Amino acid sequence: MAIHDLGYRTWDGVRTKGWTRPLYIASSGVALVWRRRWLRLMLMLAWLPIFVPALGIFAFEYSSTEPEMLQVVINLVGGPLQRPDLAVQLMTDRDGARHEVWTLLIMAFFRYPQLSAMVLLVGLIAPMLISYDLRSRAYLLYFSRPLHALHYMMGKAMVVWFFLAMIVTVPALTLYLIGVMLSPNLSVVHQTWDIPVRIAAASIVLLVPTTILAMCYSAYTSESRYASFSWFATWILGFVAYQILTFMGTEFRRGSRGSFDVDYDRWRLLSPYHALGKVEAWVFGLDPTAGSVLPTLILLSGVTFLGIFLIRRRLIALLSI
Amino acid sequence: MIEIADLAKSYGAVQVLKGISLSIPSGITGLLGPNGSGKSTLIKALLGLVQAGSGHGSILCRRWPNEVRSIRESIGYLPEDDCYIAGLSGIESVALMANLAGLPKVEGLRRAHEICDFCEFGEERYRGVEGYSTGMRQKLKFAQALVHDPPLLILDEPTTGLDPGQRESMLRRIKTLNVRYGKSILLSTHILPDVKTICDSVVIMVDGEVKVTDTLERLSRPAHPTVHVSVVGDATELVSRLQESGFNVVTDADGSLRISPVAEDRVDVIWKLAVASETKIRRLVPAMNSLDKIFIETASAAEAI
Repeated sequence: MAIHDLGYRTWDGVRTKGWTRPLYIASSGVALVWRRRWLRLMLMLAWLPIFVPALGIFAFEYSSTEPEMLQVVINLVGGPLQRPDLAVQLMTDRDGARHEVWTLLIMAFFRYPQLSAMVLLVGLIAPMLISYDLRSRAYLLYFSRPLHALHYMMGKAMVVWFFLAMIVTVPALTLYLIGVMLSPNLSVVHQTWDIPVRIAAASIVLLVPTTILAMCYSAYTSESRYASFSWFATWILGFVAYQILTFMGTEFRRGSRGSFDVDYDRWRLLSPYHALGKVEAWVFGLDPTAGSVLPTLILLSGVTFLGIFLIRRRLIALLSI
Repeated sequence: MIEIADLAKSYGAVQVLKGISLSIPSGITGLLGPNGSGKSTLIKALLGLVQAGSGHGSILCRRWPNEVRSIRESIGYLPEDDCYIAGLSGIESVALMANLAGLPKVEGLRRAHEICDFCEFGEERYRGVEGYSTGMRQKLKFAQALVHDPPLLILDEPTTGLDPGQRESMLRRIKTLNVRYGKSILLSTHILPDVKTICDSVVIMVDGEVKVTDTLERLSRPAHPTVHVSVVGDATELVSRLQESGFNVVTDADGSLRISPVAEDRVDVIWKLAVASETKIRRLVPAMNSLDKIFIETASAAEAI
């Protein structure tokens, strides 16, 4: 017997509140995932795209002292970011365009590199969260504690949210801080205070439905690779379907001599990538057709609530065996 | 400790628990029953893991099922199934279970080490649980059940898969927790010697109903006071004299005699008849019903119905 072994001892400390329990599940999950080397590498690589919008913000702020830098921003905004109207405004009212330029750059960061990185990261982390517990029947251990099904789901989801926030929210907020630090004076905070709020809101839009969908796949199989496959299939098939349908619509419109409009709003509902892009643009206040965001919002909310319902149902069914 | 009435549970058309009413006192109680008798479902219903169709009562003075989540804070559950949290080491698993039961982070880890010492994990606690043997996993589940110091432990087949040495250690730990630390334990098992070794009372379930619930001591006592007598040599003379004196005598396969009814004051009569018949008595002890016999009789009586 070890010399420090005092045998059984009773414990009469103060118990923590119920809401802390998802945090313990999350911290344990984060520690587990963090042990994977490929993930740490991926997190580092996911930060690389930040240099493009950061250079854009730098050029914009530097143009206050070096006017020739403004041309770089105008070329960027009018070219790859497809906002010629903003490019024109930049020529006449540079300071007035600050909010929109920053928002556009941050939104582009969200929309293209980070959304793709998010799909990859969720597809690699989320499928194993519940399916591993199914395989090892760990849910019996979890639910023998004073734990609600929602606590369990929340704890598991927070594992994904932590890593997603590391590659989406934190870099976007860093971009904003870079902008503030590079700006001539702190009055820009008054002009752009809503951007961090929009970043938080866009992060929620990006994180919640996607995580719930991936966890739902995970809850219905004890083989995480099947859940991963379903996840990537959903994104790829949705993306391809959207591209094909809108392309065909465009071709058909050419044939019918302009009397036919492509229904982008309808086909967008098939593609999670485009649906999320639409809502993000709306959150950042850059969507020119904000009225048509409602069906997409309803779809994402539906996916979230249906996912939660299905995961809960699955857990209850498992415990009944 | 546990007072439950009208507990019913069905899975579709199959009624697994048929309006059970149950009173389990503190101490160690053995929950026995053939496969499919509803033991595991009863345990899961008590823990609120499955929702009972009907039923009410109290567990540890808290209303069941209304306060089932707070009841779980005071129960340590060792599931029958092989279950573990993949990827974690033994100590991390136990600490996580402590945290989920409400122990703060550092306190949970400290407590996990204490319990691992109590369960004799040694350095194995730092290994991944996937590499554990069946016996180690059983000990791990036990440690997880115990880590938050619950007053009630529900152990579903805790000695399954253990070698004789580990089994003895496990039973010793359970007994210690009861005797020295006042824990109440509900022990569901098929291994009757385990029940005989450590249990104070027994509940026997058959086909979703509670057929027997009593202390082991009372159950072991025959309906009529009986003594078990072994003799040296031929017992024919003694048997005939006993029968003449009004005793009922049954000869067992090994030649020993079961004599009834024998009240305490009539044991002398047996000795006197043995002297008179010149029969040497090797052993004379009060006869007890074996738990195996009680279990088999209860199960077969239910089947006959």
